[in-house]
Amino acid sequence: MSRLYGDPIEVWVRDGQPARFVWRDRLYVVRQILDHWVVAREWWKTSETDPGERRFWRVEAAAGRDVGTYELRFDTASEAWLLLRAWD
Amino acid sequence: MGTFHPSFPHLHVASAYSLRYGSAFPDALVKRAADHGMDMLAVTDRDGLYGAIKHVQACHAAGITPIVGVDLAMEDEDTRIVVLARSDGWGQLCRLVTAAHHVGERGAPSVTAEMLADSGGLTVLLGPDSDVGRAMAARRDGQARTLLTAWRSRVPNVAVELVDRYGYRDATTATRLLALADSLGVPAVLTNAVRHLDPADYQIGNVLDAARKLVPLHGRHLEPSSHAYLKSGAEMARVAARICGGDQGRALRLLAETRRTAESCALNPVEIVPLLNQRHPILHLPEVGLDPVPFLRHRCQDGLHERGLNRSPQARARLAEELKIIEAKQLSGYFVAVAGITDMIRGNGIRCAIRGSGAGSLVNYLIRIGEVNPLEHGLLMERFLAEGRIGLPDIDVDVESARRLDCYRLILERYGTARVACVSMMETYRARSAIRDVGAAMGLPPHEIDAIAKAFPHVRARQIRAALDDLPELRGSGLGDRALETVFRLAERLDGLPRHIALHPCGVLIGNSGLGDRTPIERSFLDFPMSQFDKDDVEEAGLLKLDVLGVRMQSAMAYAVSEVRRVDGEELALEEVPRDDAATYDMICASRTLGCFQIESPGQRELVAKLEPRTMHDLIVDISLFRPGPVNSDMVTPFLESRHGFRASYYPHPDLREALRETHGVVVFHEQVLRIVDAMTGCGLSEAEKIRRTLSSPDGRRRVRAWWELRVRPEFDAATVEKVWQVLDAFGAFGFCKAHAAAFAVPTYQSAWLKRHHTAAFFAGVLTHEPGMYPNRVILDEARQCGVEILPLDVNHSDREWRVEKLTLNVRREDAGEPRPGDASASAVRAEEFGRGYGLRVPFSAIKGVSEAEVDRMLAGRPYTSMADFWARARPSRPVAERIVEVGGFDAVHRLRPGEPRWRPGRLTRRDLIAQVGAMERASRSGVSALAVQLPMGFAEQVAPGELPEMTEAEAVEAELAVLGMDVSRHVIGFHDELLDAIGVVRSRDLLRQRNGAEILVAGVKVATQTPAVRSGQRVIFTTLDDSTGPVDLTFFESVQGHTASTVFGSWLLVARGVVRRTGARAVSMRAVHCWNLTDLDRLWRSRGIEAVRDVLADRPGSDGGVGGKEIRYENGYRLSPYADIGPAPGVKEPPRVLWHASMGSSGPTP
Repeated sequence: MSRLYGDPIEVWVRDGQPARFVWRDRLYVVRQILDHWVVAREWWKTSETDPGERRFWRVEAAAGRDVGTYELRFDTASEAWLLLRAWD
Repeated sequence: MGTFHPSFPHLHVASAYSLRYGSAFPDALVKRAADHGMDMLAVTDRDGLYGAIKHVQACHAAGITPIVGVDLAMEDEDTRIVVLARSDGWGQLCRLVTAAHHVGERGAPSVTAEMLADSGGLTVLLGPDSDVGRAMAARRDGQARTLLTAWRSRVPNVAVELVDRYGYRDATTATRLLALADSLGVPAVLTNAVRHLDPADYQIGNVLDAARKLVPLHGRHLEPSSHAYLKSGAEMARVAARICGGDQGRALRLLAETRRTAESCALNPVEIVPLLNQRHPILHLPEVGLDPVPFLRHRCQDGLHERGLNRSPQARARLAEELKIIEAKQLSGYFVAVAGITDMIRGNGIRCAIRGSGAGSLVNYLIRIGEVNPLEHGLLMERFLAEGRIGLPDIDVDVESARRLDCYRLILERYGTARVACVSMMETYRARSAIRDVGAAMGLPPHEIDAIAKAFPHVRARQIRAALDDLPELRGSGLGDRALETVFRLAERLDGLPRHIALHPCGVLIGNSGLGDRTPIERSFLDFPMSQFDKDDVEEAGLLKLDVLGVRMQSAMAYAVSEVRRVDGEELALEEVPRDDAATYDMICASRTLGCFQIESPGQRELVAKLEPRTMHDLIVDISLFRPGPVNSDMVTPFLESRHGFRASYYPHPDLREALRETHGVVVFHEQVLRIVDAMTGCGLSEAEKIRRTLSSPDGRRRVRAWWELRVRPEFDAATVEKVWQVLDAFGAFGFCKAHAAAFAVPTYQSAWLKRHHTAAFFAGVLTHEPGMYPNRVILDEARQCGVEILPLDVNHSDREWRVEKLTLNVRREDAGEPRPGDASASAVRAEEFGRGYGLRVPFSAIKGVSEAEVDRMLAGRPYTSMADFWARARPSRPVAERIVEVGGFDAVHRLRPGEPRWRPGRLTRRDLIAQVGAMERASRSGVSALAVQLPMGFAEQVAPGELPEMTEAEAVEAELAVLGMDVSRHVIGFHDELLDAIGVVRSRDLLRQRNGAEILVAGVKVATQTPAVRSGQRVIFTTLDDSTGPVDLTFFESVQGHTASTVFGSWLLVARGVVRRTGARAVSMRAVHCWNLTDLDRLWRSRGIEAVRDVLADRPGSDGGVGGKEIRYENGYRLSPYADIGPAPGVKEPPRVLWHASMGSSGPTP
């Protein structure tokens, strides 16, 4: 089962896709993109013109020898990354 | 991915013609595809081929191969498929769409797999919204396999459609669909299920989803669509890679398969849009059952004899010329078919008149499509049908509006639904409809949405926020605050998007049994077969049509004729009435034209008074002059001066005298432009018509100028050439087709003749069919002023519609009195004598809220002996019964009379009767038959006669306005006489005695408000007040609109200060400087006295912010306000509920 986190993380991006990220002081290297999807924000609830969208990645990543599956989220409006879930 | 991106063909694209779904127009999509370097593009609109013709045209222009399909729902399922026409499948696609619309409810077309069984010319795409896709998304892989196997066995060409728009699990579902397709050997194609042009358009998509599904904006109702835009080939290659999980070879095969499918669906544009081949378009010709060419020739020969033209060499030559053009264009059958239809319409007793440029054709006159002889008025065929003209002619006829649909039924019966269909039109989003849909999506309360939408004039949706800044009546409305900003911003983005499809008001396609292969046909609201193409599309598709327009005046005149027959036993043949009746022209010259066709507006009443028409030709000129063009290029003044001999007629060159003599040297008609161009260049009339059309655009004028200088004959000197050019340049697209005006002049004259000689019957027709611009209460007042007695509602005499009653001698008549000496209009025309001896009876149908069934029962049960009798047999609803009492429907039966004294012990009053209605309703409810308690004056509950007070006259008029929408017993302004006299208001009949430039007060009921296009580029408000002695026409220029606009739009009774402008011997209009709501002044007067009212009237505000907005400039100096020539906000058109403040004692006796 997965666990929910929602922690802010730092992510390095290559070719528009997450390549490495740091979560709880550990460096994770993305080995494979398992899934990627995009969700538009409920723009009509906000006052700004463009509230942006949220991009989700489900990736297989390794921190050292520990391999797990992680769900990352990028919010285009705040330009911030979160680690949403982990299967590890 | 490698660099191999062959041009990607999008196979699933919804354009804006996917109603409330797509947001991009076909030409924009095609342009974007071309920018992406694509060589093919499909349009697959939802539920129909609404955008197909425009798509094919745009593709043809851009050099792209068009593909057309449709996105259809499956019956009994919430799933959709896409069906593409293969290269030879256009006809099959049309028929499939037609069939889909015949299954299920109107507006909800659907198909079954069985309907696709023989679809060799079609390819079916099963995508994420299909049953296969849905099963796969729900992870029911076995079911998906069974479904796809079933599809493959039932339908000849099936492909799986893969879509990944970056939604949750899109990619994984597509991957599994691809695996399924591969394992069953079904081809798979990649699409993007496109809805938009750009990524940012998804917000509009969300609003459209909410509007379509009638739900508020909420994540659960919306289709994710931020990636549903027209992606480039490179972007689509990335999508292919995602789906194929990095298997490059498979991705390439997917793209190649997509391309192969696209190639099998490539259409030949000219087959679908024949008019793209301008030289030899293959038209879809009507079937007339025999060789049409000799048949038309014979009918024309017969026509020459019947019309008495067989000895006229001019007519013979003209006929030969017209037939040559008609036959060269293969249109003989069309004329034969149209003549058959007009004969049939008239044969069924329906009035039918030709309109428009078709009146210029002698053939139309000879075969009795129209009654206008073009030779008599110098009309030209070329304006209607010319040799070099691309496009198809269309003949327009006017029929009685009330019987227009009967005409359609007759045509359908005669030719069958396989050969005829009505034309459709797309209603598009404008400011009000956009605000309504966005407001609903944003969850605003309905009454607020309604109030906001109605505050706007009929502007385009994209002008909403500009209008808020520009228009004084909106600036002060508080609508501009930030809360509504999002609503307006989104509403603006809906601008111009098609919203729903409707029956075009007049177009009927006439074809042969192959019509269903050329256009998809759906059912209209009233179940008429209706092409999915609009009037431009049907022409491009090579389909011929006839315009059958419903004209209310034709119905009004038909009704008048039937009333004359019923009441006077006289049979009128309007077509044969001599067109030179002096009394009729006297009435027109005196501006008494309220109610008449085309000449009743304030501007026309002013113009006819100045022009003083005396012949049909004068009427034709009058109608042509009253257009934005002539008014704005200032042709009116020189014409009037020459006509009345104040100025010599001027001709730029003697050779042009012939063309211009009829209008004293002023160019009024299109036909004159043709003659001038022909006379000075010798190019022929057909070519001249082409030139005239080119003059309508600035670019065209530049081209014509070069041509002009090259082609003008040497005998014209440079100065003349330049002078004539200036006229042509200014004339531009304006001016009027004389044939059109000549066709209009006939009903104009006929209506005026009826008004003059059969006044009561004429008004009965006008009141019943409401053809004009004024509300019925104005028409009623005009009838009253013309000496017709207005008879109140009476349960024993009223009928379904307005009826004329001949007054017998023992009916007491109001003494109208002799006209006062010096009354200019009365000296020439004694209007009050027109209708003497006749009355008009208010009908049952005028009662607010009455139903058709109630009216039927009321008529069936006549006569009635009492209200109880009426209640028992006519069985009206309680509110309707009460309203009938309130407006005096039982006054005659029960001998009631409103007015003083109000207390009448022992005698029945209207209020007693209203109380009895309530008692009877309670009795009926408790099971006591009303008949059982009917007599004598016995009711289940006793109401003693005279227990309640009678209504005052003011209350009676108030009730009439509330129930009937008009003041029947007295003019409403009469109750304000005391105040109006106290402040010195001038009445309409006395306006002619005011000197030019005098500043005076006027008052009245607002009866019309217009903002037409005027020369200055301002938005000018024209308002007509009615003060019971006649109309008062007021003009509000922009300089005063800052302090007057909201009052003008927002009041029903107005007092205005204005400056008198004498515009002719019998014409006066007023330039308004200020105005007030009379109801407010009345309240002030009653509470604070006359001095307080005088203080308010003394207010003289300076010129404040007028109307903003960038005016539209034309090359010839003509400027137009962006807010002119549009329907103004509805504003207040109805009387307020309470007109007078409680007069003493009206609340009844104090105990």
